[in-house]
Amino acid sequence: MGVAFSVRDLHFRYPSSREDTIKGISFDVLEGEIFGLLGPSGAGKSTTQKILTKLLEDYKGDIEYFGKNLKSMDSSFYEEIGVGFEVPVHFSKLTALENMRFFSRFYRKTANIQELMERVGLWEYRDVKVAEFSKGMKVRLNFVRALLNNPRVLFLDEVTNGLDPKNARIIKDMIAEYRAKGGTVFLTTHLMNDVEQLCDRVAFCVSGKLIEISTPRDLKLKYGKREVKVEYRENGTIASAVFPLDGIGFNEEFHSLLKTGKVETIHSGETSLEEIFIIVTGVEMK
Amino acid sequence: MSSLIKLIAGELNRLVKYKILPVSLVTAIIWIVIFLFLSENEAREITPLLIFVDVAAMSILLLGASHHLEKQEGTIRTMMVMPISMGQILTAKTIASMILAIESAVVTSVALFFIHGITFNYIVLLLFVAIAGAAHAAIGFVLSLRSRDFTSMLGLLMGYMFLFTIPSILFSFGIIDAKYEWLLMVSPSHSASHLITSAVTGNFEIGMVIAGCLYLTFLSAVLFKFEVYPRFKDNAVRG
Ligand SMILES: Nc1ncnc2c1ncn2[C@@H]1O[C@H](COP(=O)(O)OP(=O)(O)OP(=O)(O)O)[C@@H](O)[C@H]1O
Ligand SMILES: [Mg+2]
Repeated sequence: MGVAFSVRDLHFRYPSSREDTIKGISFDVLEGEIFGLLGPSGAGKSTTQKILTKLLEDYKGDIEYFGKNLKSMDSSFYEEIGVGFEVPVHFSKLTALENMRFFSRFYRKTANIQELMERVGLWEYRDVKVAEFSKGMKVRLNFVRALLNNPRVLFLDEVTNGLDPKNARIIKDMIAEYRAKGGTVFLTTHLMNDVEQLCDRVAFCVSGKLIEISTPRDLKLKYGKREVKVEYRENGTIASAVFPLDGIGFNEEFHSLLKTGKVETIHSGETSLEEIFIIVTGVEMK
Repeated sequence: MSSLIKLIAGELNRLVKYKILPVSLVTAIIWIVIFLFLSENEAREITPLLIFVDVAAMSILLLGASHHLEKQEGTIRTMMVMPISMGQILTAKTIASMILAIESAVVTSVALFFIHGITFNYIVLLLFVAIAGAAHAAIGFVLSLRSRDFTSMLGLLMGYMFLFTIPSILFSFGIIDAKYEWLLMVSPSHSASHLITSAVTGNFEIGMVIAGCLYLTFLSAVLFKFEVYPRFKDNAVRG
């Protein structure tokens, strides 16, 4: 598997700002993976996405896109990437379909607009002006917009923000399918759910720095408490006991509880990513 | 090249959808109504002023309005991640703005012909309106990019008109002495006004006309290269 993006010691400062917004970060986005950038508001996630999509150019450090210096890429770079923005990006007085047709016209290879719009439930609203769309509908249209050119790398900034669970599910399924077909995804979010359900690897981003880059599973193994919580009935009330997961096969107390007690529930105690984020970064997400 | 044509088509489509073209047609119709009440000579005198107002003030206003609207809608940002260059985007917008200026010049000319039978050298007028239109599109971009929103852009436009447009109008009413006209030509408004007046009246002072054309072309190039181009992307991305 190749490397889609390789970022080394990236620094960026907005002209109007006194200190760096991105303070020296390094990471690789591997071809065919879903890479998540997770962090609280103001961490620099959108800024990082704008740098990788060549919208912000005065950065320091090295960025390679499939082995080529990002700065040397011309506008054909945009034939290959799809960008989903954090905020709606449509002509409000044009209909949803007119918008998609307009943007689609500029790409050499294009996706089937009808298929995409049907999938996200917008086809029946294709002739409605975007001005009349709800927030969630605009978010879904943004997602369709990002996929218009069958991109090789897909950038998604807070793609499920403002969506109800059903629509969030549809978008996540589509992202997973896109990856299954070989696509690469760079996704920024402050929602743990997105990361847990989608990302192959995640980077924790706080105040312009990356604290930890790993798979959600490894993070849980490394930082999560591994334990089993048993709830059982004793003298007419519910009691509970917690046992370490390591060596559970030899834990006499656990075994005798299983044999004698009236077990109601057993849970392996997984520390949530949210808790792990706080443990690792020392920063609350919200 | 074909991307540029698609961009221009998109701009023209939006001029209609966002009701900018209809509004500009309505103002042209107001001019026509005014012509109906004027004698031939009065109409001949006021025509350059009407075309000039469209080219030099309306075009800045409309460009500013559409710029700030598009910025609000975030659409410029999404155009920046398409396989097209910023030069193409700016060219398409400038051509759309020029087309708007030409459209009102054409409507005015047609009305003059049918109401008063007045004709003039249309090719020259078209050329001058195009040159002045491009320069004023550049000025429209500069004012848009230097303002936070449409309201503050209006403030800048007021300042601009006070400095450059009002003196030119005073001149056309004879309030400023003709011997100072060469000084006034520094104002893009007045250069435009001079060119349009020459085309409509048929009185060409060759030196002044050439100076006006060169000056406006030079000004467009300088503003696009050093003011508009470097700021446009940053302005769109910042949102
Ligand atoms: N155009 C700008 N000029 C100056 N500072 C900016 C600009 N855009 C963003 N910033 C600052 O840079 C920092 C990072 O912003 P960014 O939008 O990248 O955060 P984020 O992680 O995407 O946050 P969110 O979750 O709220 O979207 C913030 O402190 C923000 O105020
Ligand atoms: Mg963001």
